[in-house]
Amino acid sequence: MTRTDAPAKDGFLPAWLSPGAAVIASLGLLACVGLAFAPSTTSEGRVMWTFARPHYLMYESRVEAWNKTQTPKIDLKLISLPAMERRMMSAFLGGVPSADLIEIERRAVSRSFAGPIESVGFYDLTDRLKQEGLLDAINAPSFSPWTSRGRVFGLPHDVHPVMLGYRADLVEAAGIDVSKIETWADFAREFSKLQVDADHNGEPDRFALNMWETHNDHLELLLAQAGGGFFDESNRLTVDSDINAHVLATIVTWIAGPSRIAADAPNFSAAGNRLKADGYVVASFFPDWMGDIWKHEIPSLSGKMKLMPLPAWKKGGPRTSVWGGTMLGIPKTAAATPEQFEELWKFAKELYLSQEFTEILYRQGGIVTPVKKHWSSPLFDEPNAYFSSQPTGRLYINLAPEVPHRNSSPYNTLAMNRVADSLVRLAEEARRDKVYDYASLKERARVLLKKAHAQVADQIERNVFIAEPDAAETVRPLQTGAFAPPRPAKRGGVVERSETGEGSWSPGTQNDQIAAVPSPASPAAKRSSPRQRGEEARGPQSDVKAGGGA
Amino acid sequence: MSAKAAAIPASSARSPLAPWLFLSPFLICFAVFTVYPLIQAVLLSTQTTFGPGATRFVGANNFVALFRDPLFWKACSNTLIYTLGSIFIQLPLALGLALLLESPNLRGRSWLRLVLFSPSMVGVVFAAMMFGLIFEKRTGLLNQLLHGTLGIVGIEWDLDFGWLQQHVMLGLIVASLWMYVGFNMTFFAAALQNVRKDLVEAAIVDGAGPVSRFWNVTIPAIRPVAGFVVLMSVIGSFQLFELPYIMFSSSAGPDNRALTIVLYLFQNGFEVGDLGYATAIGWALAVILVGCTMVQRLLARGEEASA
Repeated sequence: MTRTDAPAKDGFLPAWLSPGAAVIASLGLLACVGLAFAPSTTSEGRVMWTFARPHYLMYESRVEAWNKTQTPKIDLKLISLPAMERRMMSAFLGGVPSADLIEIERRAVSRSFAGPIESVGFYDLTDRLKQEGLLDAINAPSFSPWTSRGRVFGLPHDVHPVMLGYRADLVEAAGIDVSKIETWADFAREFSKLQVDADHNGEPDRFALNMWETHNDHLELLLAQAGGGFFDESNRLTVDSDINAHVLATIVTWIAGPSRIAADAPNFSAAGNRLKADGYVVASFFPDWMGDIWKHEIPSLSGKMKLMPLPAWKKGGPRTSVWGGTMLGIPKTAAATPEQFEELWKFAKELYLSQEFTEILYRQGGIVTPVKKHWSSPLFDEPNAYFSSQPTGRLYINLAPEVPHRNSSPYNTLAMNRVADSLVRLAEEARRDKVYDYASLKERARVLLKKAHAQVADQIERNVFIAEPDAAETVRPLQTGAFAPPRPAKRGGVVERSETGEGSWSPGTQNDQIAAVPSPASPAAKRSSPRQRGEEARGPQSDVKAGGGA
Repeated sequence: MSAKAAAIPASSARSPLAPWLFLSPFLICFAVFTVYPLIQAVLLSTQTTFGPGATRFVGANNFVALFRDPLFWKACSNTLIYTLGSIFIQLPLALGLALLLESPNLRGRSWLRLVLFSPSMVGVVFAAMMFGLIFEKRTGLLNQLLHGTLGIVGIEWDLDFGWLQQHVMLGLIVASLWMYVGFNMTFFAAALQNVRKDLVEAAIVDGAGPVSRFWNVTIPAIRPVAGFVVLMSVIGSFQLFELPYIMFSSSAGPDNRALTIVLYLFQNGFEVGDLGYATAIGWALAVILVGCTMVQRLLARGEEASA
């Protein structure tokens, strides 16, 4: 190039640098300097994730107290549940570190149980819980959502029994004696007296129960209470069970037709709160954590509410159910040595099982501890002003042992959604065809549930990992004296157990002991395909699960 | 040979590596971010997975299951309804508004344009949450408004009208109308400004009325832009995800009435964890979109040939 062809110098910039390139380079330089001097976000000590703000507020003082006297230091972080679920699963699937302690909700955690048992990202706590007597010390149903193929992967935070909260001012003014209500039929008969048509438009302005075909949580807890649900204790699909058909048909008689007793006042929404405050619905489902939410969101009902056990599906049946649940788990990547595991385990127990935490849990969240020895505390006998001075803690504790067991299948949500779809269709067909008699509804419910069952079975069948016959078999023992952090070996594109036993260290054992984990699943459940299992499961089933948000 | 070319050393001009060197930034990015993911997507669609670590080859099983999956077909039909709503309601409305804006007697044109365009600047998440509240039963603004206004003329509007239960797709179409009609209007407005005035004047001289001028002059003139807007709307509609996902609190609504193809892909990939099946859904969506594009191009080519 000749000298005359060279680009002319543009102001103070050198000839080879255009103004645009100069701007980009300056911005890049600024970004580098900014990053270099930005405060470090590295946590001091061990990181614990929680997903609920009330939980975060409850734990703050406990973590502060721990950090003053104990090691390792705990750095508590509040992360939204969907974000936590995705980060957790990404970390588990990628085998990379996430938090050192993860507190997570029932539905979100079940995804981590979808693969081979040895690829569950949390430490198996079963043996440690047994050794320390915690399996007996904690309310048994509270373990069920964190138990996959017989192994427990989390420390339970709660029990979450469900009662019925009702407008005592309205009910007592109408002269209804709730102590005489034993079954849902009694409830419908007595509470329907409160349904009045004040504006004479042909429709009641008040309904007995807050229930609608789109309320999946309510449906799930009602199924659980009735002994229905989606999987039995052998993990067999039970979507099309007779009990489920009975519950669906009964719910439709509540929400549609001449004997309608229920209306839609959605939970966790301003619109729903307004309807509840206005007395549009008289009774609502109340797990122990719900009282605290109402106290803050509908303070106008303070002193006007009371709790009663859920009416049973039949005389002498369970008077409670379950809604929601949380666990604390230790990811496998958090502890490379037994000592590190011990440190985290000690903190987890201190946080969840202490008397001090029991008090905080109840006072700040209205939540009853699953630790049975704390149930005798006078704390639970204190009158609750919001619920007309009832000792709500004691009422919930009385029902805690009756709380139904739940299944931790990763397909619970899927099955729940398909059953909920069936309920929506059943209700709409009933309204369209004006068919409201129980027998016809139940027959139609059976047909809809059969379709739902087949859909769920198809989806489960696609998961070759959970259906593998060896998926729940004994994990190979660890060589004596060797501590090996879990590290699944990969062979032919499929995660397999290591021949040397790597990946099989169990925190239930000392580092010089052998960790042999027995298989809990029944051989029949393991051998049959999900579709076969679904077909075998037809007829009345007994196991249950429910879900929710606490 | 020019002076510039003469200044380039002969050795570098002949170097066979030189073009590749200059192309390499693009080629590397293209290979890493396009070709490799595409190959991986093909492989993934033939596997059942539990994350990247646990995979099992299943051949064409994912595609076979997909075609037998009633939920996939439900997602397709919902997406198609939404797409048709977008094309046959949203685009004519956008064109109508553009014609209104181009009307010579209109006052406050700039303000009106801003008002109509501004919803497209609002985030989809915000809009979805807002319409969730608007469509509520009993306390929702829309039902209250209809109940109040229609009540004046003696029509009883049901406060429990289930926008988010029985009329889910209608609700989604209404929400998307609010968001995108102004955006599409700007394309049509730009196209209308480019309609040749001499043709319009010639049509007037020939005695053509407003309707005749619209069909015979305006529509042919804006056809290329209209084709582009239709194609973009179809592609955008088939990718519908955030609106139903937020409006129905991360679910597919009652009885899967808000289930779209992308939402179903998301559910399978990121909620169930079956990336293989989700990839198969992605390929099905890609085939649908390629089909739509080809149809649009064929139609456009046919029109060009007939013109």
